[in-house]
Amino acid sequence: MFAYVVKRLLSLIPVLVGISMITFLILRLTPGDPAEAYLRLSQIPPTEAAVAAVREELGLDRPLIVQYGDWLVKALTLDFGKSYATHRPVWDEMMFLLPATVQLAGVSLVFTLVLSIPMGIFSALYKDGWFDNFCRFIAFTSAAMPNFWLGFMLMYFFALKLDLLPTLGRGSWAHFILPALTLSFSYIATYVRLLRTSMLENLEQPFVLYARARGLQESLVIGRHVLKNALLPLVTALGMSIGHLLSGSVIVESVFSWPGIGRFCVSAILNRDYPVVQCFVLMMAVVFVIANLFVDIAYAWLDPRIRLKGESS
Amino acid sequence: MSETTKALNKCKRVAAVLIAGMLLVSLLAGCGSQSGQTPATEKVLNFSWAKDIGSLNPHMYNPNQMFAQALVYESLVQYSDAGKIVPWLAESWTISPDGKEYIFKLRQDVKFSDGSAFNAAAVKKNFDAVLANGKRHDWLAFIRQIQETQVIDDHTFKLVLKDAYYPVLQELALIRPLRFLAPAAFPDNGNTGKGIKQPVGTGPWVLSEYKQGEVAVFVRNEHYWGPKPKVDKLVIKIIPDSESRVVAFEKQELNLLYGNGSISLDAFKQLQAAGQYETKLSEPLATRVLAINSNKGATKELKVRQALQHAVNKDAFVKGVLFGTEHKADTLLATNFPYCNLGLTPYEYSEDKARALLDEAGWKVVPGRDFREKDGQTLELEFCYESTNAIQKSVGEVLQGDLKKVGIKVKLTGEEQGSIDQRQKDGNFNIIYGDTWGAPYDPHSLVGSMREPAHADYQAQLGLPMKAELDKLASAVLVSTDETKRQELYRQIFTTLHEQAVYLPLSYLANLAVYPKNLSGVAFMGSQYEIPFGTIDIQ
Repeated sequence: MFAYVVKRLLSLIPVLVGISMITFLILRLTPGDPAEAYLRLSQIPPTEAAVAAVREELGLDRPLIVQYGDWLVKALTLDFGKSYATHRPVWDEMMFLLPATVQLAGVSLVFTLVLSIPMGIFSALYKDGWFDNFCRFIAFTSAAMPNFWLGFMLMYFFALKLDLLPTLGRGSWAHFILPALTLSFSYIATYVRLLRTSMLENLEQPFVLYARARGLQESLVIGRHVLKNALLPLVTALGMSIGHLLSGSVIVESVFSWPGIGRFCVSAILNRDYPVVQCFVLMMAVVFVIANLFVDIAYAWLDPRIRLKGESS
Repeated sequence: MSETTKALNKCKRVAAVLIAGMLLVSLLAGCGSQSGQTPATEKVLNFSWAKDIGSLNPHMYNPNQMFAQALVYESLVQYSDAGKIVPWLAESWTISPDGKEYIFKLRQDVKFSDGSAFNAAAVKKNFDAVLANGKRHDWLAFIRQIQETQVIDDHTFKLVLKDAYYPVLQELALIRPLRFLAPAAFPDNGNTGKGIKQPVGTGPWVLSEYKQGEVAVFVRNEHYWGPKPKVDKLVIKIIPDSESRVVAFEKQELNLLYGNGSISLDAFKQLQAAGQYETKLSEPLATRVLAINSNKGATKELKVRQALQHAVNKDAFVKGVLFGTEHKADTLLATNFPYCNLGLTPYEYSEDKARALLDEAGWKVVPGRDFREKDGQTLELEFCYESTNAIQKSVGEVLQGDLKKVGIKVKLTGEEQGSIDQRQKDGNFNIIYGDTWGAPYDPHSLVGSMREPAHADYQAQLGLPMKAELDKLASAVLVSTDETKRQELYRQIFTTLHEQAVYLPLSYLANLAVYPKNLSGVAFMGSQYEIPFGTIDIQ
């Protein structure tokens, strides 16, 4: 297992180099000049002289290959340069903003799991009952409901009308509830449907019949045999969700004024803030690869067939 | 089956505990959110801004936010109503007859918030720091013109220019880059372009707390020379979303909404209709305008450009899209701007006149076709706008609807800002949306930028037969030292542009303010970027 993990981590190197090159090129092929974007942000007319001065200051007047080489060498020491927009070191900005996003994503993940697993189990066990229909309704609603709208509705009722929760920002743990619920809502619906389907498939399997025939308690049959197997697709989805929760929280961060990385990076994309975008893409690549690695490890733990196959090979 | 039932009952119990736990968490959270209130005796003004305020370096630009820089730093002169320049840190000034020397008498009762004296040496130190980073400020013609700075005595400062440049005082009134940092707050190497030690100015406010991207708290500057702010604290909360800002305001977490674009116009209308808040709109501060390219396609023709002026129903646009919160614009700049009350005859809304002009230009109605044609070509114009901007998109839709009535096809091209910037530079548009610079930049910044090829203004005017003459007039007006001649030059420029129909002004932008009835002293300033928090009081 250790060798497998090391191998997977080493495979990150060519992935990151490839991604950095692609990101670097795509950014520069996209219309829009970061120097002009900076001037626009500063409310300075983009005269030729002003643009030239900013381009020189940002090092954009050098050949592309030199710019990339310079960036790559520095990136190896976690020096991702300075943000064009804020003039602060990108790594410092990321490390300052990342904890807020990680906290939000973490709480959302907890919400997702705590709500979706029992709901998924109940939906499967009470197939076509009122609870199953209720969960189906939630799933369809969440698919049709944009995040920002849900965020506003939750804010309107729970913060403004009922005055139960804070409206915006960060501070106490109460500030987590609305943004985390908004962020997790669509995942909850997906996971409930996923777990329900998987549970139903597993309930039909011969090993369930055999377990019951052995006289095992129903709670053991459901919990140890059916649920454990039914969780496999959920684990796969979870691996992808971690990356999405970290990188896709921009709308929730904007609605709830959450000072996280999503908001920062979307404005960086719009402002052609190359160093920020490059760093963000790399970070997300690492997150996705590591999350998938954890998924694979969890798979081996949950499914003995994979574990034993791995050990025998 | 009985085992299954037992298992299900167990699951039900678990679920019930979970749900009860969630509800408890919500209730406890509700209790928690009530804590942390400020003492009742302290007057706190809660305001919000979309972006972090930055490091408050007076000599630099983004991420420093102008309204926040203006809280801490002041200028030698101030831009007042109708563009009038009034004394501020300089109590008076004299200008040499050739317009090249300015001598400022500084106020003697001014101190920086750290208690140090504001004097001519501090003024020179700030000017010199800005000039040392001159490339960065090159966009401002005034900076390019400075030849020398001199301390005459402790409270007299002299500025020598290379050539006469009339908007010196207007540009000195800008929020950046020429406001004054206390000498003790300069970095050790003196290069403020790379950062400052701390934000210390002469302004009415002092930064007391700062959490990047979340909140900034300002308190009164006890050394302030002018009337001190009436509230004890000013809290700036960073709220990027305008609708969230409205909810926070309704929940009384904010007690002032102010500015242009700070909330949507329909939210403004809704708050106004609620009746429980005061709402205000400022005088025109800038213009929403469409630049019509005289150098591309059908808009090369004067009659087509003039037809566009008559074909767009601005009243309907203001009423339908802007909810009546702005005034219809008849001229490129509103008449309350300096040198802009010219008595130009507006283009009236008349579909018939538009049709007649298009007929005269040879663009004829072809039976069975929706749009006019000439030499087998359809009359199609491309309107380019920033796709994420709701108002620009609505402008496009209005334009498409109005121009279809007179037989013009409008192709809407919505792109992100970077691509729109590129089109402005290349002149790759028939019609493009823009806002004028507004107070205190206009009219001189607008006229100055018309000479810059990277500007949509330049590109739109490029097809005019008198473009070279216009550029000469623009250059002449900026160096003119004679007030009467200057007025005449502005008259010629704006009259020509009006007649040539290269701009289609839609409405005049204004700052808006919404606040609860227990707030008083909310006013607007001549400059659109400054917010007069100092005069606001809470009952």
